[in-house]
Amino acid sequence: MEWNQETVQFLSHCFLNTLSPSPAPRRQAESSLASASEQPNYALVVLRLVAEPSVDEQIRMAAALNFKNHLRLWWTRSSTDPSVPTDSRIQGPEKEQIKSLIVPLMLSSATRIQNQLSEALAVISKHDFPKSWPQLLPDLVSSLQKASAASDYVSVIGILSTANSIFKKFRYQYKTNDLLLDLKYCLDNFASPLLEIFLKTAQLIDYTSGPVGTAETLRPLFESQRLCCRIFYSLNFIDLPEFFEDHMREWMTEFQKYLTTCYPSLEKSGTNGLIIVDELRAAVCENINLYVEKNEEEFQGYLHTFATAVWSLLGDVSQSSSRDRLAITAIKFLTTVSTSVHHTLFAGDGVILQICQSIVIPNVRLREEDEELFEMNYVEFIRRDMEGSDLDTRRRIACELFKGIATNYKAHVTAILSVQIQNLLSSFTANPAANWKDKDCAIYLVVSLATKRTAGGSVSASTDLIDVNSFFATVIVSELQNQNVSEFPMLKAGALKFFTMFRSHIPKDVALGLVPDVVRLLTSESNVVHSYAASCIEKLFLVKDEGGKARYTSKDIDPVLLMLMNNLFTALRYSESEENQYVMKCIMRVLAVADLSQGVVAPSIAGLTSVLNEVCKNPKNPVFNHYLFESISVLVRRACERDASLISTFEATLFPTLQTILSNDVTEFFPYAFQLLAQLVDLNRSPIPASYMPIFEILLSADLWNRSSNVPALVRLLQAFLQKAPHELNREGRLSLVLGIFNRLIASPSTEEQGFYVLNTVIENLEYSVIANYMSHIWHALFTRLHKKQTVKFVKSLLIFMSLFLVKHGSENLVISMNAVQTGIFVMILEQIWIPNLKLITGTIEVKLTAVASTRLLCECPDILDVAAARHWGKMLDSLVTLLSQPEEDRVEGEPEVPDIAENVAYTAAFVSLQNAGKKEEDPLKDVRDAKEFLVASLTRISALYPGRFPQIISEALDAANQSALFQFCNTYKCVLV
Amino acid sequence: MTDESSPHRRDPIKSSVGNAAAERRRQNAVSVGKERRESLMRAKRFCRVGVSTAIDDNDDSPDHDMVIDEEESILEAQASSAVEELKAAVAFQGKGAVQKKISALQKLRRLLSRSEFPPVEVALKAGAIPLLVQCLSFGSLDEQLLEAAWCLTNIAAGKPDETRALLPALPLLIAHIGEKSSLPVAEQCAWALGNVAGEGEDLRNILLSQGALLPLARMMLPIKGSTVRTAAWALSNLIKGPDQKAATELIKINGVLKAIIQHLKNADDELATEVAWVIVYLSALSNMATIMLVKNNVVQLLVERLASSNSLQLLIPVLRSLGNLVAGDSCTTYDLLVPGHEITDSVITVLVKCLKSEHRVLKKEAAWVLSNIAAGSVEHKQLIFSSEALPLLLHLLSSAPFDIRKEVAYTLGNICVEPVEGDGRPKLIVEHLVSLVNHGCLSGFIELIRSIDAEAARLGLQFMELVLRGMPNGEGPKLVEQEDGIDAMERFQFHENDDLRNMANGLVDKYFGEDYGLEESSS
Repeated sequence: MEWNQETVQFLSHCFLNTLSPSPAPRRQAESSLASASEQPNYALVVLRLVAEPSVDEQIRMAAALNFKNHLRLWWTRSSTDPSVPTDSRIQGPEKEQIKSLIVPLMLSSATRIQNQLSEALAVISKHDFPKSWPQLLPDLVSSLQKASAASDYVSVIGILSTANSIFKKFRYQYKTNDLLLDLKYCLDNFASPLLEIFLKTAQLIDYTSGPVGTAETLRPLFESQRLCCRIFYSLNFIDLPEFFEDHMREWMTEFQKYLTTCYPSLEKSGTNGLIIVDELRAAVCENINLYVEKNEEEFQGYLHTFATAVWSLLGDVSQSSSRDRLAITAIKFLTTVSTSVHHTLFAGDGVILQICQSIVIPNVRLREEDEELFEMNYVEFIRRDMEGSDLDTRRRIACELFKGIATNYKAHVTAILSVQIQNLLSSFTANPAANWKDKDCAIYLVVSLATKRTAGGSVSASTDLIDVNSFFATVIVSELQNQNVSEFPMLKAGALKFFTMFRSHIPKDVALGLVPDVVRLLTSESNVVHSYAASCIEKLFLVKDEGGKARYTSKDIDPVLLMLMNNLFTALRYSESEENQYVMKCIMRVLAVADLSQGVVAPSIAGLTSVLNEVCKNPKNPVFNHYLFESISVLVRRACERDASLISTFEATLFPTLQTILSNDVTEFFPYAFQLLAQLVDLNRSPIPASYMPIFEILLSADLWNRSSNVPALVRLLQAFLQKAPHELNREGRLSLVLGIFNRLIASPSTEEQGFYVLNTVIENLEYSVIANYMSHIWHALFTRLHKKQTVKFVKSLLIFMSLFLVKHGSENLVISMNAVQTGIFVMILEQIWIPNLKLITGTIEVKLTAVASTRLLCECPDILDVAAARHWGKMLDSLVTLLSQPEEDRVEGEPEVPDIAENVAYTAAFVSLQNAGKKEEDPLKDVRDAKEFLVASLTRISALYPGRFPQIISEALDAANQSALFQFCNTYKCVLV
Repeated sequence: MTDESSPHRRDPIKSSVGNAAAERRRQNAVSVGKERRESLMRAKRFCRVGVSTAIDDNDDSPDHDMVIDEEESILEAQASSAVEELKAAVAFQGKGAVQKKISALQKLRRLLSRSEFPPVEVALKAGAIPLLVQCLSFGSLDEQLLEAAWCLTNIAAGKPDETRALLPALPLLIAHIGEKSSLPVAEQCAWALGNVAGEGEDLRNILLSQGALLPLARMMLPIKGSTVRTAAWALSNLIKGPDQKAATELIKINGVLKAIIQHLKNADDELATEVAWVIVYLSALSNMATIMLVKNNVVQLLVERLASSNSLQLLIPVLRSLGNLVAGDSCTTYDLLVPGHEITDSVITVLVKCLKSEHRVLKKEAAWVLSNIAAGSVEHKQLIFSSEALPLLLHLLSSAPFDIRKEVAYTLGNICVEPVEGDGRPKLIVEHLVSLVNHGCLSGFIELIRSIDAEAARLGLQFMELVLRGMPNGEGPKLVEQEDGIDAMERFQFHENDDLRNMANGLVDKYFGEDYGLEESSS
C-alpha cells in the first residue's frame, strides 16, 4: 500500500464509516479495512494517517485504534494454530520505519491518540525491546530530558507512561539471566534520568503547592510523580538495584513527604483532586511495601518513620468513604510489616487494640458504596463478598491485616477480637434499627477471619474466634427466622453467608429445621438475599459426612420440594434475576438429588422450557445458560430413568424450542442443542420416531460443521443416530455425505480428531458390506493427509482407527482394503507407522484396543506370519510389549501437540460439554478382559503351531527389558511359548 | 537477591508442579544489585599510602592536614596548576628534566591522594592523561613510573567515566607489570589495572585482549609481600566475567593453582581473603577450574579456613567458594562429600557455624550451600536431615528475613524429594516430609506463596504440592487448609505469570475442586 491522496481518501472514508451508527456501512468499512490490512505497508500508511494534521481528529483516532489492533495481531505471529500462516504481515523494513516514527509521533499527539499509540508501542516493545529496538530507550531518555527542560508535562507524562508499560514485565517474570540483562540495560539507561525528573518534579510541587499554586498546575505534576513511582516499582521488583540503593535517601525523602503532607489547593479542588494525590500516595505505599518485603535490611532505617506515617494517614483515610485504593495499599504495607522480622512494631501495649479500633473495624464496617452495590449490582457484590474476588476491597484487606498480626500475636488478636465482636453485638441488641451495621460487621469479621477449608469437595470454613454453633444459634438463626423477608436484607445475606460457610459444622437436624426458612428467603426481593438462599441450599447438598456420603438426600427435601421449586422459579422472575446463575445452579442441584415424581417433573420441564425460550432471544449469561441446559438434561435423564415413557413428553416440550434454536441460528446454543438431542436419541428405543429425521438432515448439512465449536457435539449426535438408526444412514446417499464430513474434518489438524470420531462411529456401527465400497475412498483420504502432514496426534488416531477396523471387521478386510489403494501399502504402514508409534498410545481403552489388534495381527495375519516377515513380527512384538509393560509416563515423552479444539477457538463460542447429557465411553472389546492375557494366550496358541520358531525371533528382536517383561507375562498367566 | 555476581545455579525445582526440589543451583550470572556490599570498596580502591618505601615522602607531612581541609575550589585550582606544571616539565628538555618531572608528578599525586573528593575531573580536563602516559614510557626511572602509576590508580578509582579515561594508558601499565619491572612499579601498575578491571565487562575485555592476565597471574606466584595481595585482588576483578574464558585461562596458567593452594594454606587472613575472591570467580565461571580445585583438595582448605577464622571479610568469599564448588560439579557432592567421611562432617559443621552467625550474608550463603548439598543423593538428604542444621533451618524458615527464608526453603524442599534422573517426576521421601511438616514448616512455605516474589511463590507452591500429594492418609489437603493455604493459592487466580497461575489453579482444582457432585448424589 502506498501513501497517496487516493489511499488517504479511501482509508479516511473507511475509518469514518467504522464509527457509523448504522450497521451496514460499518460492516462494509470493516471488511474493506480487513482486506486492505493484508497489503504490505498497511500499518505504516495508517500510522502516517494518524499523523496527518489535515485529517479530521475522529478519523485519526479511529485509525490509531486500528493501528494498535493491527499491531497486536500481526507484529509477530507466533500462532500455535497451524492453519494460520506464520509469516507476519508486517515485514522488516516496515517495522523499522514504524519504530522510528512512533515515538515522536506519540509525543506530539493529543492525549486520546497518544494513549492508543502508547499502547501500540507497548505491543512492539513486548517483542522487540530491548534487543531488536536499541534506539527506543535512548530516544525516550533524550525526549524526556527535552520535555523536562521545557517543563512540558504533557510529553513527560507520555514518555513516562510508555516507559511504565514497557518495564512492567519485570514485575512478574521469573528471574533469568536474560531478564536480568534486560533489566540491567534498562537500569543503566533509565535509573538516573528517572531520579532526575522525579526530583525536579518534586521541587516544582514543593514550590507550587503553596498558596500560589493552582490545582491545574499541580495535577500533571502529581500524575508524573505517580508514573515515576510505578516505574520505580518495576525496576526495583526483582532486586534492589545498586543505583536505587545509592539513592535511597532521595527517593524515600520524597515518598515520605507525599504520605505526610496535605496539598489543599489540589485536594480540595473537587473529588478528583483528592483522587490524584491519593493515587500517588498509593503508588508510594506499593513501593515501600516492596522494600519492606524484599529489602528490609537496607530499608530498616526508614521503616519506623513510614510505619508511623502510614498509620496516621490511615486514621484519616479509614474515616472517609471514598479513597479505597489508598486504604488498601496502605493496609497492605502494615500487613507486610506485621509478618516481617520487624513485627515487634506491633508488640507495644495497646497497639493491636488501637489497630483494631482505628483501622480494622472502620474499614470492615459497611459504607454507603457497599449498600449501593448491594442494591444496584448484586452480581458484583456477590463476586466480592462470597467468591473471593474481594482481594482488593477494604473490608477484606482490613481482615488480612489482622491475620498478618495474628501470625505472631495470635492469642492477643483472638482475645481482642472476641471482645470487639461481643461489643458490636451488644450495640446491635441495644438498638437494632440504628445499629444493624454493627451486627453485619461482626458477622463479616467472623466469616472473613475463618480459615477456608474443604469439606466434601467444596470450600467451607472453620474458626477459633467464636463457637460456631452457639454463634449460629444466638446471632444467625434469628435473622433466618425473621418472618419479614425484606427487612434488613444485608443482615439476612450475612446470615445466609454464615450458614453456607459453616454448613458442615451445623448439625443436620438444626440445618433441616432451618431449610423452610431458607426456602422462604428465596422469595425476598433482594437479589443478593435470594441468590444467597439458593446458594445455601445448593451447597448443603454438597456436604459430605465422614466416608464421603452425602449428608442430605432426597428424603430430606421431599417435604419442602414443591415449595422449593416454586420459589426458585419465582426468584427467576424478579427484576435483574431473570438470569440468576445461583438460582439456576440450585435448580440443577435439586433436580439431581430430589425424588422426581410426576408432580415435580411437569412444572419443572415447563418452567425450564419457558426460561429457555426466553434466553434464546438473546443469550447473555453463559454460566446461567450452562446450568440451564444441565438442569434440563439432568431432569430428562433422571425422569426417564424412573419412567421411560416420559421421553415423548420431553420430546414434545423440547422439540419446538430446539428447532427455534436451529432455525433462528442461535449459534451459542448449538453445542447444547446437539447434546440434548443426542441424549434424547439415546433414550429412545429403535426405531427412533420419524420426528427426528429432519434433524438428521440438518446434521448432514456441511455448514454446521464449519464452526469448530459445534463439532464435538455434532459428532456426539451423529454417533447417537448411527447407533440407534444405522439403516437410515444407508439411504439416500447419506453415508457418502457423512464421509464427506469426515473428509473435511480430517484435512485440518485442529479438527482431525473429530474426523476420526465420525469415522470410528461409522466403522463401529455399520456392517462391512455397507462400508466396503467406501473403503478405498477412506484410505485414500487418510493416506493423503498422512503424506501431507504427519503429526503425532494424527498417527495415533490412525492407529486407533486401524485397530478398531481390525477388531470389528477382521484383519483380512483390513489388509485387502488397504492394499487395494496401493499394492504393499499395508506392510509399509505397518513398518513406518504402526510399529514405531504403538508405544505412544495412551488411555486404558485405547491401549487395550491397539494391543488386541496388534496381537491379532501377529497371530492371524499371513503377511506378518510369513517367515520372510520375521523381522516385522519381532519388531511388532517388541513395541507391543513396551506398550503393555511400561507405565504411560515413561513411554510417552511430552510432545508438542496441536492444542485441542477447546483451547484454540477464542473467537467463537467454545464447546462446553454437558455432564448430564454425556455418555460413558464404550469399550469396543468387552469380551477381552486383559490385553496382556490375550497376548500371551494368543502367542501360546500360535507358537504351538510353529514350535521353536518364535522363541528365537523373540531373543533376537526384543530388547532385554522387554524379553524379561514378556517372560513375566507368561509366568503370570501360566503360559509357555515353545 | 542483590549481592551475587557469580553464576550459581538457580534453576531449582522444575517449573511444573510435581517436579520438586532436586537440582543444584548456581546463582544468576547477571546482577543488578550493589556488588558485594558485604565487602566494602572491593571493586575499586583508592591508594592513599604508597606501595613501597622507595618514594621519599618525607616532605608530605606538612601539607597532610591542610589538603583535607581545603576548599574544593582551591583544590581544583591546585590540580589544574599541577597538571600545567607537569606539562611544562614533560616539555622541558634541559638539565634536571627528570627531577622536574618527578616533582611535578609528586605534586599531582599528592593532590589526588589526600582529599576525600580528589579533583580528578579537573585533572582530566586539564589533560593529565596524555602527560601521565608519557611519563610511563620505557626506560623511565622507577620513581617516575611509580608516581605516574599512582596518579593513574587514583584517577581510575573515581567515577566510571574517569576510570575509562585510562584507556590510552593501559598498554604501558600492562607492560610495566612484566617481570622486568621492579616490584613496587609492578604492584602500583597492577593496582591501577585492578581499578580499571573493576569498572565493567567491556574494560575487562580490553585488558584481557591486551594481555593483562598472564603477567598479573605471575605476580601471584612468588611470595613478595603486598604484591601478591594486590595482584590477587586485581585478578579477581579481571576474571569476574560474565564471560568464563578468563577464569579458565587463569587456572590453566602454570603454577597458579599451586600458588592459590599455598596462599590458602599459609597466608594471613588479609591475603587469604583476596585469594578466596579469586577462587569465587574461578569456581563460579569455569567448570574446568572447579574440577581442578576440587581434585586438589581445595574444599578441605576452605573448610579449615571457615572453621578457624572469624573474619567476616574472609568468611564471605570462602563460604561462597565452597558453595560454588558444591554447586558446580556433581562429582563434588557425590565423590568428595560422601556421607560418613570426615570432610563431609566438617563441611556440615562449618555450615552450621555460619547458620548460627549473626551476619545475614553468612546465614544466607550457608543455607544456599546446604540447599545444593541437599540436592545430592538420598544419603546427603538424610545427613542434613539428621544434622544439627535442621532445627536451625526450621527456625530460620519462620523467623529470618525474606532472602534467607527463600534459601532455607530450597534446602528443606530438596530434603524431601529423591534425586531425579532426566525429566522424570521426583519421588518423595515421605519420612522427611512428614517430619518437617510436623515441625510446622508448612506455614513457612505458605508464607512464601503469599510473597510477591515469583520464585519464592513457585517454591512455596511446589512444596505445597508435595504435601498435598505425599502426606500419608490423604492428610495433605487438611493440613493445607488449616494453614489457610487455599486462600494463599487463590491469589494466583488471575496472576500474570502463567506458570504460577496454572500451578496454583491446578492444585486448587485437583485437591480442592468443587466437584459437580452429580454422580454420587443422583443415586
